[in-house]
Amino acid sequence: MRPVTLCVNGSEQVLVLADDTPLLFILRNDFGLNGPKYGCGLGECGACTVLVDGVAARACCLPVGLVEGREITTLEGLGTAENPHPVQAAFIAEEGAQCGYCLNGMIMTVAALLARDSQPSDNAITEALRYNLCRCGAHVEILRAAKRAVQMTAQR
Amino acid sequence: MTEKRSTADYLAAGSQLVVVRDKANATGADDVEIFVIVSADGRVTAFNGHVDLGTGIGTALGQIVAEELDVAFPRVTVVLGDTERTPNQGPTIASETIQVSAKPLARAAATARAVLLARAAERLDIAAGDLTVTDGVVTAGARTVTYGELIGQERIVLRIDMAAPLKPVSEYRVVGQKAARVDLPAKATGGLVYVHDVRVPDMLHGRVVRPPYAGVDVGDFVGTSLIDVDQSSIADLPGIVAVVVIGDFIGIVAEREEQAARAAERLRVTWKPIPHLRDLTDIPTALRENPSTPRELVHRGDVEVTRAGVAQPMDRTYVWPYHLHGSIGPSCSVADCQPDRLTLWSGTQNPHMLRADLAKLMAMPEARIEIIRLQAAGCYGRNCADDVGGDAALLSRAVGRPVRVQLTREQETAWEPKGTAQLMEVRGGLDATGDVASYDFSVRYPSNGAPLLASLLTGVVPPVPMVFTMGDRTAIPPYSYGALRATAHDMAPIVRASWLRGVSSMPNSFAHESWIDEAAAAAGVDPIAYRLRYLEDPRAVDLVRAMADRVDWVPHTAPGTLGGEGDILRGRGFAYAVYVHGQFPGVPAAWSAWVADVEVNTATGDVALTKITVGQDSGLMINPAGVQHQIHGNVIQSISRVLKEEVTFNQIAVETKEWGGYPMITFPEIPPIDVLMMDKPEEPPLGVGESASVPSAAAIANAIYDATGVRFRELPFTPERVLAGLQAAGVAQAKPPAALAAPAKPAKPRGFWAGLGIGLAGLVGIGTLALPIRSAIAPISGIDPTLYSASTIAKGKTLAALGDCAVCHTAEGGQPMAGGLGLETPFGTVFSTNLTPDVKTGIGAWSFDAFRRAMREGIGRDGRHLYPVFPYDHFTKTTDADLEAIYAYLMAQTPVGSATSANKLAFPMNMRPLMAGWNALYLKTGAFQPDTARSEIWNRGAYLVEGLGHCSSCHTPRNALGAELASQRYAGGVAEGWEAPALSTLSRAPIPWSEGELFTYLRTGFSPLHGPAAGPMAPVIHELQALPDEDLRAMAHYLASDLPPVTPEAEKAAIATADARNATALLPSAGPGGRIFQGACAVCHAPTAPPLFGVKPNLAFNSNLHSDRPDNLIRTILRGVPKPAIADLGSMPAFGPVLSDSQIADLVRFLRRQYAPGRPEWADLDKTISRLRETSTHISQ
Repeated sequence: MRPVTLCVNGSEQVLVLADDTPLLFILRNDFGLNGPKYGCGLGECGACTVLVDGVAARACCLPVGLVEGREITTLEGLGTAENPHPVQAAFIAEEGAQCGYCLNGMIMTVAALLARDSQPSDNAITEALRYNLCRCGAHVEILRAAKRAVQMTAQR
Repeated sequence: MTEKRSTADYLAAGSQLVVVRDKANATGADDVEIFVIVSADGRVTAFNGHVDLGTGIGTALGQIVAEELDVAFPRVTVVLGDTERTPNQGPTIASETIQVSAKPLARAAATARAVLLARAAERLDIAAGDLTVTDGVVTAGARTVTYGELIGQERIVLRIDMAAPLKPVSEYRVVGQKAARVDLPAKATGGLVYVHDVRVPDMLHGRVVRPPYAGVDVGDFVGTSLIDVDQSSIADLPGIVAVVVIGDFIGIVAEREEQAARAAERLRVTWKPIPHLRDLTDIPTALRENPSTPRELVHRGDVEVTRAGVAQPMDRTYVWPYHLHGSIGPSCSVADCQPDRLTLWSGTQNPHMLRADLAKLMAMPEARIEIIRLQAAGCYGRNCADDVGGDAALLSRAVGRPVRVQLTREQETAWEPKGTAQLMEVRGGLDATGDVASYDFSVRYPSNGAPLLASLLTGVVPPVPMVFTMGDRTAIPPYSYGALRATAHDMAPIVRASWLRGVSSMPNSFAHESWIDEAAAAAGVDPIAYRLRYLEDPRAVDLVRAMADRVDWVPHTAPGTLGGEGDILRGRGFAYAVYVHGQFPGVPAAWSAWVADVEVNTATGDVALTKITVGQDSGLMINPAGVQHQIHGNVIQSISRVLKEEVTFNQIAVETKEWGGYPMITFPEIPPIDVLMMDKPEEPPLGVGESASVPSAAAIANAIYDATGVRFRELPFTPERVLAGLQAAGVAQAKPPAALAAPAKPAKPRGFWAGLGIGLAGLVGIGTLALPIRSAIAPISGIDPTLYSASTIAKGKTLAALGDCAVCHTAEGGQPMAGGLGLETPFGTVFSTNLTPDVKTGIGAWSFDAFRRAMREGIGRDGRHLYPVFPYDHFTKTTDADLEAIYAYLMAQTPVGSATSANKLAFPMNMRPLMAGWNALYLKTGAFQPDTARSEIWNRGAYLVEGLGHCSSCHTPRNALGAELASQRYAGGVAEGWEAPALSTLSRAPIPWSEGELFTYLRTGFSPLHGPAAGPMAPVIHELQALPDEDLRAMAHYLASDLPPVTPEAEKAAIATADARNATALLPSAGPGGRIFQGACAVCHAPTAPPLFGVKPNLAFNSNLHSDRPDNLIRTILRGVPKPAIADLGSMPAFGPVLSDSQIADLVRFLRRQYAPGRPEWADLDKTISRLRETSTHISQ
């Protein structure tokens, strides 16, 4: 256990933690965030996706010691229900979810994609989402939402 | 508004109109269930006992209420599924919400509207029929009055009038229009939506530890197999509040979630041996042998007689595997158990049923239990959402505080009641004209309601086989065959199983729709035309014809009409079904039909879906957008189930624990989906939650047949199964087994101590002849660290890092350099010593002369020999000036009192004087002497590498006495059980090491052309970060100086090969090991995967995959890389706890074939995996 400084959605907090604590637990339990979800603990499903220094990361199996001093962004850090980020707005408009448990991962993965390529091809979108699982079968709507997010980003 | 928690709260409020129904066993006038509340402020609240399973049902119910009340949709709030607030309408299953439970809600809204209109008529003095209503405003000419004004301050309570007139469909304004999902803004922005998000004051975190009979809930060992829980195994962990043990139920409560999780992983539990399961690799036999009771569902004509006389007998068996519900979020619940009440926050699909279960478990009256229902991850039937509620209740009761229990992925997957395997058998045949003469169908469905797990584990409910009669759904085919019988062989589960989407109907329809396709082919009739012969239901006929038009169906009587090219054959298959749900004979939900277009690769067996066309007659669609969404979901989930999914078992339990072993469909595999929604607004609305799943399997099987002429009657249609079927039928040529190289026989590990035993006798001899026992050097009383300059101390710190002093001299979680790390050897454990300047327990009493002698000769201050696990044979090369700097640094540290534990070595290794003999043979003392013929950088590199860096300690093999073999320098050795790869020309690296890559590796812990530092190399790289670039460059220069140069052409060729290997690794035909790779590994290891925090090691370049031994690869899979050398590299989770030995063997075999294709298979993988699972790598890990 040692003091670890974490910067989440722009606010900084020092917590006394074991270095190997998964970041996800800290985000949900210490920062009180709902966005990142526990899905598998193995980085397989993507439900826990957050951004670390702008790059996607799977928080469920990321030891908190590795992200000390880095900028962590969660779903809540993108936008709010009143003022959503374009990717969030696109997923709401296209109803890119059924139960919505995987939605955090889908939005964060698309946000990470658009951060590195603002005009991805359809194939690039599909490949970017290959490792995000959805059990409800909302894939059609999710892909539509991702494409709309590309358009909305282009219009910004 | 303060939240109203109960029916009484709602009833007590004024200024509102409430529509209620008396409870089934009402005890008084207020013992009612509320359906609709119209508030004077214009808001409307609707209540339904079902829950939103992520299908947007709340939106559709809101539309119905808005329609019947004539208010705008956004005014309506829908409350679902709380035990305290909503009507008991049974479990949310069978797509019944719209079809069944919405009816009273619509009547309640109509009741309210009628009464409000009557009041308006009175107030406006005009006949009710002449009034119009728009969004709660009643208008008569120029005069208006609102619902709110009509209610005023009154508290009006009405009973539902089930005869209250509903609007004609022609007047619908809200129903039938697209309504935006009301739940999505919160879900897309991190609002509190799911039960997982519930946090209550004073809440603790719980985890459960489940028995080894994962996923089995019948048998007298259930609840009675625990022998011992060793609480001392977690005694050192912080934050533990309680360990709760009741029967086979074990739970841990802790202050923090990670503490509970760690404790659950570590808790040592002893269980009795568990009896073997039926062999579920052979589902037909297992199901036929499971005790059953036949139940005849229908018998028209006499199938025995007609079957005997058929012209073409057609007896067929169809087999369905076990499937997962596969909720993406493992179940979670929060319980607050106080002596007089229990409050449970739950994602249950059946709140009222769960309340009854909890009442039994907790021996508490139902009235004292409140269940607050929140959304959970999509469930599609019955997952562990109820189970975890029982777990949370028991743990909260034990500690008297609220407890949140989160199941792990492994627990959810292994223990969820499975969608059961099912066996369908048809005895039938055609008459001489090709008509179906006889159809005798039977089904075996070993599944029930899956009793609450906590009740079984604690013994509250006996683990006896319970039979549910749910195998009968769509067991009667929708065709008017002359002689027909259908029989359900009702049976208890074999493993824990309960309803999953398309309950028994989806497998039954697989059989019906495959069989009729086979019959059509046998009769030489087009499959659709043949179905229409026997289809009498006009809406079914409409749908089938509409589908044929939609796809421009070309009638055909034989397979192969769509052709193909190369290895690809094209086919198109049709299937139709109606999902019959509820108690037999049940009620039909929406009608559904599929046309599947496929391409079958006859070389690989891969079945690619090129298009799915799906038609559905849902009657009136409340929210057509929602219906379409449901159809898409059903299509995608069911093709995943049909093509890919199958739960596997070991001898006693479920083997499947994560997604690598249970691959689900991914985005690149989604075919185009064309949805045809029949326009039937005048017909009553039908359930749309499951229907579109039901024809899936047969449509795909029929398409495969159309492409290849080969019938597949068992799911899933994996490439292996299809290829084997095609080969057996002669459609595909069986490949001669590839001429595999002989399995590699790994060289015996020659670790530091490994060969030591052999030479012990000799060593004893030499030891007795060697130097006498050495003298002690007088202790000092400590030194004044200011004697040394800050720059000397800083230099010493860097050199100590190069020597990895802290790596061995720091215990797990201990003070740096204070020693105590146990280094495991074949002869016992050697504990590292305390290097802080504590006079009593450290080196505070050591003069520099004593320190230098230890480093040069391996002799302690007191004259005792040190063991050469301490690499003084390398450190001896260090210059006096550098040794003094290290000494200065060590003596400037803060002293830590920490006595070194006694080594645990067996005789004769516990006799230190023997080391004198070892030194006489192998130790060449004295500082490094530069080679004047070499460059300055080479000499600097040699000094660092051969001296303090002691690289060859691990990377050079050792002789029988544990000394490095001078003749095989850098030919590869062993470190702490890990293979330290060769750094010489013997390196197995697919691209040889270059000076540049060596530098990159030493500097960053990762070489893109070789991989990351892991195992014992990770801490070495971590320490090297203290060294300046020029020193690391010198080390790289020296190490590369004997290696052949890497030509750009060779590097380019190797990269091209690697790219090709990586591309084929992602193909569906990669086999079972390949699928584990795709689901569990590729996200971080496929070069085409999107960037994730950390590096993306390309396995094609990884020398561990090319090695003679699989050890490093297996160790990494088992334990992951929890602590990378440098944070930027990212970490890797451990897969040991979630993959079985045989799954790891499949994976390792795949990786070897895929990425080291020229190398022989590894022998004895199973043994190696189980050995490495048992061995701890390092006592600190």
